[in-house]
Amino acid sequence: MAASYNFKKITVVPSATDFVDIVLSKTQRKTPTVIHKQYAIPRIRQFYMRKVRYTQQNYHDKLSQILDDFPRLEDIHPFYADLMNVLYDKDHYKLALGQINMARHLIDNVAKDYVRLLKYGDSLYRCKTLKRAALGRMCTVMKRQKQSLEYLEQVRQHLSRLPTIDPNTRTLLICGFPNVGKSSFINTITRADVEVQPYAFTTKSLYVGHTDYRYLRWQVIDTPGILDHSLEERNTIEMQAITALAHLRAAVLYIMDISEQCGHNLDQQVELFNNIKPLFANKPLMIVTNKIDVIRREELSEENEALLADLEKEGIPIVPMSTLSGEGVMEVKNKACDQLLAYRVENKMRSKKVNSVLNRLHLSVPQQRDEKVRPPCIPEAVLQRKAAMDTDKPKKKTERDLELELEEDYVFDMKKRYDLKNPEDKYDPIPELWEGKNVADYIDPDIMKKLEDLEKEEEIKEAAGEYDSDMSDEDEETREIRSMAAQIRKKKKLIKMESDVRRKVQKPTLPRVARKDYNVGEFKSQMEELGVDMADKDNAHFKRARSKTPTGLKRKREASAEAGSRARSRSVPAGKVSRDQSGIRDPQTQQKVKVIAKNAQKKMNQFGKAGESDRFIGTKMPKHLFAGKRKQGKTQRR
Amino acid sequence: MRVEKCFFCSSPIYPGHGMQFVRNDCKIFRFCRSKCHRAFKKKRNPRKVRWTKAFRKAAGKDLAADASLEFEKRRNVPAKYNREQWNDTVKAMKRVEDIKSKRQAQFILNRLKKGKELQKEADIQEVKKNISLIKSPAARAQKLEEKMAQVIKESDQEMATE
Repeated sequence: MAASYNFKKITVVPSATDFVDIVLSKTQRKTPTVIHKQYAIPRIRQFYMRKVRYTQQNYHDKLSQILDDFPRLEDIHPFYADLMNVLYDKDHYKLALGQINMARHLIDNVAKDYVRLLKYGDSLYRCKTLKRAALGRMCTVMKRQKQSLEYLEQVRQHLSRLPTIDPNTRTLLICGFPNVGKSSFINTITRADVEVQPYAFTTKSLYVGHTDYRYLRWQVIDTPGILDHSLEERNTIEMQAITALAHLRAAVLYIMDISEQCGHNLDQQVELFNNIKPLFANKPLMIVTNKIDVIRREELSEENEALLADLEKEGIPIVPMSTLSGEGVMEVKNKACDQLLAYRVENKMRSKKVNSVLNRLHLSVPQQRDEKVRPPCIPEAVLQRKAAMDTDKPKKKTERDLELELEEDYVFDMKKRYDLKNPEDKYDPIPELWEGKNVADYIDPDIMKKLEDLEKEEEIKEAAGEYDSDMSDEDEETREIRSMAAQIRKKKKLIKMESDVRRKVQKPTLPRVARKDYNVGEFKSQMEELGVDMADKDNAHFKRARSKTPTGLKRKREASAEAGSRARSRSVPAGKVSRDQSGIRDPQTQQKVKVIAKNAQKKMNQFGKAGESDRFIGTKMPKHLFAGKRKQGKTQRR
Repeated sequence: MRVEKCFFCSSPIYPGHGMQFVRNDCKIFRFCRSKCHRAFKKKRNPRKVRWTKAFRKAAGKDLAADASLEFEKRRNVPAKYNREQWNDTVKAMKRVEDIKSKRQAQFILNRLKKGKELQKEADIQEVKKNISLIKSPAARAQKLEEKMAQVIKESDQEMATE
């Protein structure tokens, strides 16, 4: 039934204001919020009734949860009931819970009344005020519970921190005066870490530790020290110890400090023992004399010795130990455990449940068929090891020992214990990779043989001429043909491009005959390219045999008009004037025009602006060169 | 340290690169970069994705079965270090690598031979059909005339000497 003594699952008890906040905000969130006064009145009533009922339900649920979670002092083990009484005062506890119960009841009543009133509300305003009143009253009820809620929250927190003591399992209980060494003892035998200090009442509550003996789990409970006065005068801390003593069925270890370093002499300790003797009824008892490293029992004075002898006469074993030096601690534990086990077994034997256990216990021994002795077989190695453990032989030298020996010079050398055929190879640097290949993938005992075979194959292949390049059919003729074909393809492309350009233009066009793009000089150069000799073709008629226009007349007119430009008239076709001379009457104006043109350019040149012929880069950072990951390839180029 | 092979494209994965995916049946898939990883997640078959080694081998574009390719094999049993053996192995590795690359290159060249022949024939056809674009028939006729003229001259001279 260990689970029922886990008090960690109690719900958190909120403070009064928090409680009110929680419930009201939940109401606001979880119920509809929109209502208008033009809705039908039953709808309005229902809206507000829902809110009142919702709030009531919430309060009810939460308070019920609190009341259920807190343990009922009648239902739990009397040890815990008593402990809670000692710590929290039974009356106060019951009162607080009673108040909570009452509050719940009151809230229910409030809600019932106001819902009844809401059924007859005739306007939105009236319903709303009723709802406000209802919620207000419920919240004041809660606010009045402030003290109870605070108290219960504190109780809950303390309760969840109590050590889980199972009252039914094997337990060793340690008691005695303050400062005798109870906490040191428990620290020694278990993994508990109880505070040990030279002042009295260092341990203020019960502490649990667990230890093992004979493959069983044992609880060890450390109590605060008990002083020698009557029960009524005891404070809360001592009462905890008394409670534990009274209710737990455990083996009791009464620890005495025979060196009297705790501040009380032996008579007082014995006096206390006698006073609390009634609590030890029906429990296996043992007196432990602690701090024997200071003074031994034999060195005690006569009176003290007499006191102890008296106690022994009553049949209580007195065991010496010292928690400081560790002497006798294990014996004490073993003895106490044995005592308790014997006691428990005896009890079980007396009870009616014995038979069910006894039925399951049966040790079968094979029948002796002859006189031969057959002892258990223990291998040699085990015996030797046992012997070694006993004699405390020096162990193998470990790396740690070496490290401590060499201190600064020590170097952790992983390779010194390598097991290789040739131990000189141990410290070799081993190549792992070459050109992106793992050397370990090529390791093979027959690799040299395989390589030889491969080389032979290679020779055969080379001899057979597999690797000869076929440049044999690359004679003069083929090369010529190839170059000619390339030229042809290039020419074809050019023709296609030109025709594309010409065809795309959509201006009105003159017929081919009237167009002036048939140039004799160009024709001649084209034919030269194609290999025809055009040197002496002056008499050839490249254009119409007879021109349409009376060319003679035109020629005469132009020749007489522009005498200065005679040099030009031969290179420029008849009737065409170069651009920088069109519209100019005489050489003086031409000079002026030149000067004006130069001046117009000055400003632009000064500003150094880019002109048509200057280099222009459309996009400085084209996306395909500057975006994307550096995939497989060198980072020198992207 | 090991250089692994990418599951998708079979390229080497150096330490510090790529990703690994371990499936519920404990098979490990290694990828050299997110391109391969994403393709794998899209369930693409590497044998059908043209740029991977798996495709090239399966489609016969690269040398697939050869003695020189048998040397590199993943050994599951680790071998103890032995200096001689390791030395031999490194030397052998280099030689094997030479031979392997030679054979791979030759394989590809052989595959492309057919293309070269076809190209040659196409050139010849091209020249036959469109020679007039670069060499005018008039030029040929001229040359013929000149040749004829020369021949006549020579024959005249011969006749004269006779």
